[in-house]
Amino acid sequence: MDKRVTGSERFTGHGPEWRDSNLSSEDARIATSWVEQKIDKRSMLTNKDRVEDVRDIMWQLEKDGEIVVHRVADEHEPMMVKTLYGWDKKIPTKRLWHHKSCGQCGNIPGYPASLLWLMNRLDVEYLDETDQTSCTAWNYHGSGIGNIESLAAVFLRNFHQAYVAARAQGLPDAYYYPLVHCGTSFGNYKEVRSYLLHSAKLRERVTQILGKLGRLVDGKLLIPEEVVHYSEWLHVMRTRIAAIQEIDCGNIRATIHPACHVYKMVPEDAIYDDNINDGNRLANSTGIMQALGAQVIDYSTWYDCCGFGFRHIISEREFTRSFAIDRKIKVAVEEARADVMIGHDTGCITTLDKNQWIGKAAGKPVELPILADCQFAALVCGAHPYKIVQSHWHASPTETLMEKLGIDWQAKKAEFVAYLDQVKAGKQENLYDPRRMRTSGPGFIPIAKLP
Amino acid sequence: MSHATGSRVQQHIGDPLSAEPALPLTKLEEIFKDIQSDLRFDHELNGCLNCGICTATCPAAHYYDFSPREIVQLLWTENLEGIYDAMQEKIWACAQCYTCAARCPFGNSPGGLVMLMRETAIKHGMQSAKNVLRPFSRVMLKLISTGNQLSPDMINRDHFADWGPNISKIEAPLKLLRQAIPMPTLNTTATAWEVNLKTSVELYTIWEETGVLKQLETVDENLFDVISDIMDEKREDWKDFLADQEDEKDEKDD
Ligand code: SF4
Ligand code: SF4
Repeated sequence: MDKRVTGSERFTGHGPEWRDSNLSSEDARIATSWVEQKIDKRSMLTNKDRVEDVRDIMWQLEKDGEIVVHRVADEHEPMMVKTLYGWDKKIPTKRLWHHKSCGQCGNIPGYPASLLWLMNRLDVEYLDETDQTSCTAWNYHGSGIGNIESLAAVFLRNFHQAYVAARAQGLPDAYYYPLVHCGTSFGNYKEVRSYLLHSAKLRERVTQILGKLGRLVDGKLLIPEEVVHYSEWLHVMRTRIAAIQEIDCGNIRATIHPACHVYKMVPEDAIYDDNINDGNRLANSTGIMQALGAQVIDYSTWYDCCGFGFRHIISEREFTRSFAIDRKIKVAVEEARADVMIGHDTGCITTLDKNQWIGKAAGKPVELPILADCQFAALVCGAHPYKIVQSHWHASPTETLMEKLGIDWQAKKAEFVAYLDQVKAGKQENLYDPRRMRTSGPGFIPIAKLP
Repeated sequence: MSHATGSRVQQHIGDPLSAEPALPLTKLEEIFKDIQSDLRFDHELNGCLNCGICTATCPAAHYYDFSPREIVQLLWTENLEGIYDAMQEKIWACAQCYTCAARCPFGNSPGGLVMLMRETAIKHGMQSAKNVLRPFSRVMLKLISTGNQLSPDMINRDHFADWGPNISKIEAPLKLLRQAIPMPTLNTTATAWEVNLKTSVELYTIWEETGVLKQLETVDENLFDVISDIMDEKREDWKDFLADQEDEKDEKDD
């Protein structure tokens, strides 16, 4: 029986002409079963009349001398993946410029730290620097403050910085390729790139602005060949990551929350693989979890959003927490008997992680550890649960997951508390040389002057 | 206005039985034109089968009197009063998940269209936009002044009491815990990462050039004033830095 349409729960907002069909629950199940079947299939997203690969427009514009394309070059050692319509997408694996996420860095710092830790282990060169803004799209989707021009200018400014960042190290332009950490940024940048390629007017407007900032290449806009999300990097690196795994996770029942802005925005650019979820769902996160040997368990509301809502997480929290608990956490716990829910986006991890505690007050006591895919991967590859994975920032019970993995979290926690004294004395351990983080402006030390 | 009686519809679009609308037709047309003239409009609205797939899959439709199908129908049929009415409240229910867009067989983006309506509500200084955005002002202040939308010091028990007693499960001052993150860019408390001064100054130019500051002034004048002061200060700092650089260079040349 379909639990989702019982009791007093009703869809609303259909307009005055809508009439309740008053079907019995059995009839309702039969009537909607075809939808259920379709919803789980890739065809649900590919039933469109018109699809276009905007990269065709991009190459033409470059040929016409209108733009410069920042290529995923051989030096970035790209791996090829297939997207929704079977098109190729190039994922760079080396020389990466970290485009951080403000929500991750502000709230779940173990998310980026785990990613950088994995890169260190795999000997992947990268730059984490201070000359970047967020994509500004959380605020935009939440408030409506901003517009297509501001989003485009912010996108192009950040990606231009990724292109020139290596100069500070005496290295050539285009050395690093941007890797976008946030799913919101990823979706937004892909959408904005598409509008930039379609609209000469928008290009003209932002060329003026980027010109003022000194952020053009040969007087032209710089457009990235691919917009790449970190979960895509993790996906193509999954066998290499599994090769350094230290902790067996075959007993872990994992549910996956695919992020809306990763695969529902510009869906044609998301990765699908016939060997993962039978090619019916996004491959990101499921691929790495399976490569690590975890059991990926299905649940019926996998396609639902988390309830973040952009604005709702701040000012309509009843919606956010109800949706997170009723449509995600509760379903994963009750249907899938999950040990963990794995995500690949900032807002979802925050929403699903932080909204469990209040469930007790609402008579819905549910508990499920929530981690990003790269945090889980780092954990089973031996990363410190507190120094690197920074699990103390998670409100959900990550301790139960660690126990199941055989990690003595109490001992690790004690180690971390003792380590804080070392930090107090200014002797913290870093993942990279801090002198590299400034590439200009106050505090910048030119490379030649570095001892 | 003589129609300020009971229902929301009457309050905002007038009494349907009365001959005079609450808002002149020219104003309603102007609002629709602003939505329609955005370059995204024609990509996001391609017709509508009225099939309701969007609403069936919409998380906001579960909890609010809101339907993406209705929004699309209003825009497709150019129902000016209905559009204006939806902009009073309904459009703010959308959770911006784009499930509707991924699934609409016509390639529409109801979620994207909602954004065009939100932008227009702000442009016209609608009270709905002002009310809805008040709790969002902390995020906006952070974003416009630093380029970060969230910072560690924003996450505290006063603002997120429902997130439970522990922001961090290890008791220690925030500053120390942030220093213990092994990415030096993140050893901050007032921004999510350390932001280069040049970055902020470049961002201010973007805000000015794209009309974002004007939007902000329309919905929240106080916030606009605070942000203007911060921007002026940072621009001064940047000028001072450049002047110091020049001095250093001159000294070297001598
Ligand atoms: S899914 Fe598309 S065509 Fe169907 S009602 Fe919604 S907007 Fe219209
Ligand atoms: S984007 Fe908005 S309208 Fe579309 S499905 Fe999500 S909440 Fe509903």
